[in-house]
Amino acid sequence: MIASLLADPALLEDIVRILFVFVLITAAFILSTRNIASLLTVYAVQSLLLTLIAASFYLIEGSEKLLAIAALTLVSKVLLIPLFINLIGEKIKISRDLEFNYLEPTASLLVSIGLIMLAYVFLSGFFDEYVLGKLFFIGAVIGLSLTLMGMLVIFSRRKVITKVIGYLTMENGVLLFGIFVADLPFVIEILIVIDLMILVLLTTILAIGLDSTKKEYHQRLQTLKIWSGREE
Amino acid sequence: MNASFLLFILLNTGFILLVSPFFMSLIKKVKAYAQGREGPRLLQSYFDLRKLMQKEVVYSPNSSIIMRITPYLNLGVLLLATLFVPVVFIPNAPAGIGNIIVFLYLLVIERFFTALCGLDSGSAFGGMGSSRLMSLSAVIEPTMIIAFAALAYVLKTVNFHEMFAITAGSTIPESPTLSLISISLFIIIIVETGRIPVDNPATHLELTMINEAMILEQSGKNLALIELAHAIKQTILMAVLINTLAPWGLATELTFAGIVISCFYFLVKASLLAGLIGLFESSIAKMRLFRLPGFYMMAFFFSALTILMEVFT
Repeated sequence: MIASLLADPALLEDIVRILFVFVLITAAFILSTRNIASLLTVYAVQSLLLTLIAASFYLIEGSEKLLAIAALTLVSKVLLIPLFINLIGEKIKISRDLEFNYLEPTASLLVSIGLIMLAYVFLSGFFDEYVLGKLFFIGAVIGLSLTLMGMLVIFSRRKVITKVIGYLTMENGVLLFGIFVADLPFVIEILIVIDLMILVLLTTILAIGLDSTKKEYHQRLQTLKIWSGREE
Repeated sequence: MNASFLLFILLNTGFILLVSPFFMSLIKKVKAYAQGREGPRLLQSYFDLRKLMQKEVVYSPNSSIIMRITPYLNLGVLLLATLFVPVVFIPNAPAGIGNIIVFLYLLVIERFFTALCGLDSGSAFGGMGSSRLMSLSAVIEPTMIIAFAALAYVLKTVNFHEMFAITAGSTIPESPTLSLISISLFIIIIVETGRIPVDNPATHLELTMINEAMILEQSGKNLALIELAHAIKQTILMAVLINTLAPWGLATELTFAGIVISCFYFLVKASLLAGLIGLFESSIAKMRLFRLPGFYMMAFFFSALTILMEVFT
């Protein structure tokens, strides 16, 4: 029964479409949630959604690479990274990020609707000549929007720990884009680079302190003589 | 007007009128259980209404005609709105009945008169409640319009009856985006009926009141009518959500068996939804007034996204 259902590509495409929508909703929550523990849960859910998308897409396409991506995402982003940040969060004893730069959550949700439309317009100009499937095209749009919304998180949040989650969201967006605009080794390259960036960021922050805003963080770096750049 | 529509008026409106207070007490009961209390009986709302009906109405000497007509007007408007949301069977309705835009305006009329009534009594509480309601309405109104517009866009009609005929005909939701709209609709139910993150229906504490503040000066029969109108509004909005997301069992033809099955299914599904609302209310805390626009914006985001997804595909 289930096997026959899973063999039906139309149903699978519908499922993937619902998952897309939920991915964007998790992004919206990441933009507006103030509690760090729930922020991490939302991020884990978002990664789980990506895993499901990759897995259902594997059932449609049958390429083993997708299955590998799904497994990788499940292990690293659903389990390890949230666990890791959670441990740090417990150590530094901050539970909320109430500070926002430039944009309050309400405004950033409006802006992100604009960003989604922008991604759509931009990509529809781009991919006109390639005959991408409908699903691929939406996947690309959602991936790009997710990346942009991740940028918005980095832009509007003050605390470093939430900025990190912004980076991770961006990376999820890139991954989604990579899944659907198929065979782009360059995208995977970027993915790895961003992964590395996150790794570096996490380790430095781990060493210096995650409970600060960016400004305090710079100060600490200066006092510890790790970085002597001028304060902006 | 045809005979089946006449029957529809009697059955649909009568049914909603009959079951509405039940869902009010069901939600109270679920909340009570979640808090470890016994809670009121399931029929308590009916007893309350009967008790209030027998009581004398007291008017403030400052109040005008508004105070006297509002309870009747609200109930009348909402009874009219019940015709727009079929729960027993989908009738062959005359033009205009079932139109989304008319439906929204009916809800606005009710809200407008409730706010006026709050001002009319001349008490400080009433004015405060009205002012809060109106300022929040300015934010939730666009959200509601977008949510219903998304519904209309997905189902390609602006008539509720036609929409539900489409959704009832399919076994799984017609379009994946419908499941998304239902999240917005759920938030709209919470907001419109003044439930917990927005307003607390169980308290008369000055800081938190919106809806209760406006009807604080109502008494006796008038209070009963207003409470009944409130319960009907909740049932109608629940019915919209149920018919959109899980329309199974809704009869599209007029048959006796169909009507019985529809009523039964509706009772079951609405009870589940009421339980869900109760649990939702128990699981989160009341929001500060100034955080509410963010909450509404979430609903707006969902609805806008729904329209975008439909445009993309």
